[in-house]
Amino acid sequence: MVDYFALAVSHGLMALAAWRLMLRRELDSEPGLPDSGPGAGIDSGREKQAPARRSADA
Amino acid sequence: MLDLGLAGFVAGLLALGLRRPFLWVLAYIYVDIVAPQKISWFLLASVPISLIVFVLAFGGWLALDDKRDSRFSFRQGLMVLLLCYCGYTTLVAEFPVEAATKWSWVWKALVFAIFLPLTLRTRLRIEAAALFMVLSLSAIVIGGGIKTLAGGGGYAQLSLLVNDNTGLYEGSILSTVAIASVPIVVWLAKHGTVFPPDWRVRVFAAALIFACLLIPVGTQARTGLLCIGLLAILSLRMVKRRMLYLALIGASVAMAIPFLPASYTERMSTIENHKSDQSASTRLAVWSWTLDYVRDHPFGGGFDSYLANRIRVTTLDTQSSGNTTAIEATVVEDQARAFHSSYFELLGEQGWPGLAIWLLLQFTGLWQMERVRRRWKDRDGPDEQWQAPLANALQQAQIIYLFGGAFVGIGYQPLILCIIGLQCALASYLKRVESERRRPVPRSTRVMPLPAA
Repeated sequence: MVDYFALAVSHGLMALAAWRLMLRRELDSEPGLPDSGPGAGIDSGREKQAPARRSADA
Repeated sequence: MLDLGLAGFVAGLLALGLRRPFLWVLAYIYVDIVAPQKISWFLLASVPISLIVFVLAFGGWLALDDKRDSRFSFRQGLMVLLLCYCGYTTLVAEFPVEAATKWSWVWKALVFAIFLPLTLRTRLRIEAAALFMVLSLSAIVIGGGIKTLAGGGGYAQLSLLVNDNTGLYEGSILSTVAIASVPIVVWLAKHGTVFPPDWRVRVFAAALIFACLLIPVGTQARTGLLCIGLLAILSLRMVKRRMLYLALIGASVAMAIPFLPASYTERMSTIENHKSDQSASTRLAVWSWTLDYVRDHPFGGGFDSYLANRIRVTTLDTQSSGNTTAIEATVVEDQARAFHSSYFELLGEQGWPGLAIWLLLQFTGLWQMERVRRRWKDRDGPDEQWQAPLANALQQAQIIYLFGGAFVGIGYQPLILCIIGLQCALASYLKRVESERRRPVPRSTRVMPLPAA
């Protein structure tokens, strides 16, 4: 039971973290520095057109 | 159900990686620390998950990631040198079969630590790697902490997620690594942006730190207790009200002692009276044997060269009754005792050259983090507050590891090698940030300032 609880908490937080990371463009290119170029993330071109999506409380 | 849950989590993480290949790097950190294939009985245990995730992480970086900001540093070069040297000693090892078994995981840990800094080229990636290390470790530590509170501990008795006494699931190793990770937990709770600081983050961080501190109690690993003491001393450097901090620590220790199990206090008392303890006396004998061994084998005997040792240990047990003190000497013969020290592990296995490379790798890390800390600590910009504390946390983690490693054979621990990878990445990233800021930017291409961390 304790193991299930520990696994649920840690894996739940990792899943949430992975989801939040996926939505943040700073993961692949540093916003304060000159752009990393066309290769900065596989879908950097699409993200440049849309405003950066950040998690609600980020 | 557990199988499905773990397999679903790994599959989900790998699927998210299709959009952001960097998540595959995080998935490898997770697989490396938690080893879900050992927890699972069927689904994950039947596929070479570690290899698959490593290929995805490396392939994703090679094919899809921008590599212009990746730098290869001197310390990564040292790890390459250590890797090549370990490969050579494996080829000429005294125990080729056992050496090949250990080599099969050491090379992966070293290659990943060399590779990791190449991928960590943004601040968020550095944070994400630290976060996944801590959360992965929490899968083991939270359960261990709760079981300790419920009275399920004992030397080599604390039931962790996996009971095969290997990797992080060995009591002394887990104790040292759990305590070493505390400074990183504190940094994430204060400067994290994936989970920005609020009351929920603070409560979780406090509970996780408490669980980390309970691991040495639950596993009754003496090394862990010494590491907690060192952590308390190191923390003095960053706290503002030192006297209050010392008073709080004193009060906490005084309150905690009555709650510790008698078996724990008995075992801890053998730290000062090590002559009566066979385990501690055997260590001294093995270390002495190692020094003799490298006189004949200065280039090391390859992995697991400790199998060659045969030692005689005399333990002295003192019993006092009234005015008389009886000393009972017991001679114990033993063979193939493990090194029980990272320094002697490196010396015995890789000889003087291997130990020299490893020490250089470790101490340049301490020096590198100290330089970063000093360079960034007095800056007051809103985006300049996280760098010095992270350097400090990574330095403290390494000091605790180097101290605990004196009594535990964790010279090639993958999580610690990941921390070295994080250090390389942080130093390289900050160097790049500073050089980019110094470079004059044409007015038309000026970019917005960094967001507050």
